[in-house]
Amino acid sequence: MAVTTVSIEGAGTSATHWLKWAVLGLIALINLYAVTLMYIQGETVFALVFLILVATGLYVFAAERAYVHRYIFPGVATMFIFIVFPLAYTIWIAFTNFSASNILTFERARHYHLSQTYRIEGQNYDFSLYAAGPETYRLALTAKTGERFISEPVELRIPDAKAQPPAATAPIEIDLTAIDTPPDQPPLAVKELVRLRGVMQNVVAHLPDHSDLRMSGMRQFSATRPLFQVLPSAQGGDGSILVNQQTKERIAPDMRLGFYRQINAEGEFTGPGIAPGFSVFVGWKNFLRVLTDPGVQGPFLQIFGWTLTFSFLSVVFTLAIGTVLASLVQWEGLAGRGLYRLLLILPYAVPAFISILVFRGLFNQNFGEINLLLSQVFGIRPGWFNDPTLARTMLLIVNTWLGYPYMMILCMGLLKAIPADLYEASAMDGSNFIRDFFSITLPILMKPLTPLLIASFAFNFNNFVLVQLLTQGRPDIIGAQTPAGTTDLLVTYTYRIAFEGSGQDYGLASAIATLIFIMVGILALINIKLMRVDR
Amino acid sequence: MADVKIDHLVKNYNPGVARDVLRDINLDIKEGEFVVFVGPSGCGKSTLLRAIAGLDDITSGDLYIGGKRMNDVPPVNRGVGMVFQSYALYPHMTVRENLAFGLKIKKIDKAIAKERVAQASAMLGLDSFLERKPKALSGGQRQRVAIGRALVQHPDVFLLDEPLSNLDAALRVKTRIELARMHQERGSTTIYVTHDQVEAMTLANKIVVLSPLTDDGAASNLEQFGPPLDLYHAPANRFVAGFIGSPKMNFLDGMIEEAGEQRTRIKLDTGISLTASVDSSRGRAGDKVEVGIRPEHTVMLDDPRADNRVTGTVQVAEHLGAETFVYLEVGGKDFTVKVRPETPAAPQSQFDIGVPADACYLFDAKGQAFPRTARFSRT
Amino acid sequence: MAMVESQSVIYRKLAAHVFLWFFLALIIFPLLMVIAISFRTGNFAVGDIIPSNPTLDHWRLALGMSIIDESGRTIPPPFPVLLWLWNSVKVAVISAILIVALSTTCAYAFARLRFSGRSLLLKAMLIFQMFPAVLALVAYYALFSRITEYFPPLGLNTHPGLIFAYLGGIALHVWTIKGYFETIDKSLEESAMLDGASPWQAFRLILLPLSVPILAVVFILAFITAITEYPVASILLQDEAKLTLAVGSQYYLNPQEYKWGDFAAAAVMSGLPITLVFLLAQRWLVGGLTAGGVKG
Repeated sequence: MAVTTVSIEGAGTSATHWLKWAVLGLIALINLYAVTLMYIQGETVFALVFLILVATGLYVFAAERAYVHRYIFPGVATMFIFIVFPLAYTIWIAFTNFSASNILTFERARHYHLSQTYRIEGQNYDFSLYAAGPETYRLALTAKTGERFISEPVELRIPDAKAQPPAATAPIEIDLTAIDTPPDQPPLAVKELVRLRGVMQNVVAHLPDHSDLRMSGMRQFSATRPLFQVLPSAQGGDGSILVNQQTKERIAPDMRLGFYRQINAEGEFTGPGIAPGFSVFVGWKNFLRVLTDPGVQGPFLQIFGWTLTFSFLSVVFTLAIGTVLASLVQWEGLAGRGLYRLLLILPYAVPAFISILVFRGLFNQNFGEINLLLSQVFGIRPGWFNDPTLARTMLLIVNTWLGYPYMMILCMGLLKAIPADLYEASAMDGSNFIRDFFSITLPILMKPLTPLLIASFAFNFNNFVLVQLLTQGRPDIIGAQTPAGTTDLLVTYTYRIAFEGSGQDYGLASAIATLIFIMVGILALINIKLMRVDR
Repeated sequence: MADVKIDHLVKNYNPGVARDVLRDINLDIKEGEFVVFVGPSGCGKSTLLRAIAGLDDITSGDLYIGGKRMNDVPPVNRGVGMVFQSYALYPHMTVRENLAFGLKIKKIDKAIAKERVAQASAMLGLDSFLERKPKALSGGQRQRVAIGRALVQHPDVFLLDEPLSNLDAALRVKTRIELARMHQERGSTTIYVTHDQVEAMTLANKIVVLSPLTDDGAASNLEQFGPPLDLYHAPANRFVAGFIGSPKMNFLDGMIEEAGEQRTRIKLDTGISLTASVDSSRGRAGDKVEVGIRPEHTVMLDDPRADNRVTGTVQVAEHLGAETFVYLEVGGKDFTVKVRPETPAAPQSQFDIGVPADACYLFDAKGQAFPRTARFSRT
Repeated sequence: MAMVESQSVIYRKLAAHVFLWFFLALIIFPLLMVIAISFRTGNFAVGDIIPSNPTLDHWRLALGMSIIDESGRTIPPPFPVLLWLWNSVKVAVISAILIVALSTTCAYAFARLRFSGRSLLLKAMLIFQMFPAVLALVAYYALFSRITEYFPPLGLNTHPGLIFAYLGGIALHVWTIKGYFETIDKSLEESAMLDGASPWQAFRLILLPLSVPILAVVFILAFITAITEYPVASILLQDEAKLTLAVGSQYYLNPQEYKWGDFAAAAVMSGLPITLVFLLAQRWLVGGLTAGGVKG
């Protein structure tokens, strides 16, 4: 179309023109500032992604020749941020040891160690606070020798505990000057001090002689000194080795483990990792764990097998019930077809998170209505959530309940397209209802259904909500190193490794997620091939 | 009102990769002319129209409307009104809103707009449908709304893209006559695209015949530009000769036996010799040629003008009452003749037909026509 | 055909009806059950399945009213269900509107305009839409922690952040709308452009009004997807007052504090409107569903 070459008429008035450039310029400046900020904080990846997005956006909306791209930029950009980038980032995490214990970047871990302090014995000061206005106080210190110091009024605001995100805990720096006599007003009562304890812990008091004091007890401030200092290059330091000022031990970052560790005189690592760790690139380690580490590999293979079984059986069951019901409901002679159709679609209309939870309640071993019925009729109370086989059966029952209406809807649409004369012709050949279904209906349905069945397989392969809300993967697999259950699918397994328990091994979770990406990607490619054949 | 001049126009949707759709088109359409672009499908006639309208951009060459270069002017500023093949009526608007849409977009004064809509509606007899949606109209009514929508814009050039192709045969003839009348009344420059040569012959002041481009390296796919009867009597080449006229011209292969300025003797591949009133002075004896004979230009053997005789085997005879067409096979080629009504012609029988020398067209091996020295007329 | 129904056809129909009613009884049982439970006294299944002395206590709690139990203690509603429902509706409506806007403009460009990378993007979208967000939750969390640092209103534990995250799932909708646009005659917009409309006007005044049916389908699909979405919301939202219904309602069935009856009332109350919306819209949705993929 010629649209591409035609300049937009009417938009050329100089006022709007200038306004547009002013707005674009402003956006560029603000974002450039944000990018710089991110880069300084060491968030190189995020800064880069942000920079690319903003730069493309500005180009698209500024350049006349990118006019067409203005239509797709917002959509494609959000897809990039929320699909492509998370995918790429997940794959990247799979090659790191990112986890609860190695959550910081190296710079932040180093900064953490360098900001650690220790108290120097013997230099203690009693402190008291004097009210100087609403939430404003003067800090007074008294040394054992009787020296007194006092600060200007400073604001000590109790952070709002509910604030989201939690208020920053930057140190509150207070300078003190020497005085001779205490102020002639009563100091705050202990009760008030208790109330202000949280804020006081962030206070760093600077005395005129440049020593730094921190709160060390309910009424006491003490001189502190940084626990670690960078080993000066004169003593062979390269900037990475830190020296513990109390014990004179040297520690250095072990870039393979992601921890600072104690080193000996030869520079070899001797001690265990010192928390907090930082995340480092570990290569294929996470993938090797999945494939070879028995504590991970065993559960992984078991869960993988169950995931395949579950997805396959779900598709088979829902398809079987769906096609049969669809043929029944499409049967012209059957009275009340509309009502049947409406009622049969009901499980699909109820939000899944509600129906799954309803089933969780109904299947409850002791309080559930299903066991109530079973015990009244057969006198049994199966432990649906404790026995692996029963739990898996329950998942399949619930998933079939949830999924058959979708198949039914699909088949109903496709059945309409089958010409009636096919059945009339086969009726002349003396065929019957059942033979028709298998020799005409099913073969004709299968071709257009195949890509949809693959999509359905992929959906059930990743049916997170069902498992998470119904069994949460339980009952657990005995002897697994990671949280793993007999009803876990690979997705819920990944989720539990990442977000459950104390381990929070994001690296391992991402490695498994990467493997799932590959499998789903293959399914997607097959599907695209099939759909093109179809057209 | 304006003239349209097209200068060395080339259109290629994907230059360097795809084949040209239009190549080296040169046209000079005078103010007030009714020009028809005609050609088989794929010849680029609609593309040429869309390029004039500004819906397709021009790969190279120039387009002038009213003397102004229009290559990069957006459609709305070209002073053209267009009727689309599908009519392109806005389904969600009433007929009135459809007619007024362009005026509203252009922010034309409401009173003027109203008057123009009323004018067009009266002219096209749409008054009683103004509040209906297009869905509630018949094919012919929709077509008139589409024309009306172009009319209210008061275009300098009126563009119609196969406007009759969606109508049934009877309505098509009626609308064709209406269009011709409308052009006579308004006299605006009109460009009309069709694949139907009958529409072209009946409507046009001038016809542009286009052919689909192949990989044979033709310099242009504009085959001929001229008044309808010129195209009929003096086609520039075999393509135009074959395209203009209904039923189609018959072609027989042969070679020049004796070239001449007034008359040429040709020996057909079937063995018989034929005299044609054609100036073949640029050719020589022995050159391969094709003879063209229009079905309606054949005569009975007893006719004094029957200078040549062609014999064929009857395939089918169609008796239409007013005339009879006999479909022959002559030397392995189809040969159609129009004869007096009720001429007997039994299938598989031999059938002799007379061909006047003045009725012959002659084309060289490249398909270019030799000049004819006489024009045959049946009466 | 005026034919006398043969005996076998009558038997076959009877069998079909019996089968369908039996099947329906099985299928509808859980839904009827949960309605019954919502009126039953107490939070445990004891004794009868049909409540013998129905109570509205669970419904009062679900509607945010306190109740007084036999011992005279005032029992406040365990969870702010109405607030959660409101949160869900708010997030779903806004994200559905934005999704429709984003995917419509995208689909217009893909259906009508030529630009570099068009077919590549289209294929990429088909592949990427098959990756569930739940696999990239770690990345989502990391992404939103960063956003929180620089721009808290769009970060973790905010509804705008969640809405923002849902905007990623437009690929399927772009395909659906694109398919619909392609059924609309292109010369309509060309005609509008000859009439003097800019591409944007042709899009807004001609194409959009004609696409209302498919936009409604996409809106409802996006709305239902958002309202039933669990994993991303469970990661991004933390405060009880900010949860969506999908995340919040599972707290009822905590083994330590099992509120089966309260859950039933809350589930019926909040599930009913969504179910009704779906049933009312299902006629139009069927086309959209078959064109797309699987309910997510």
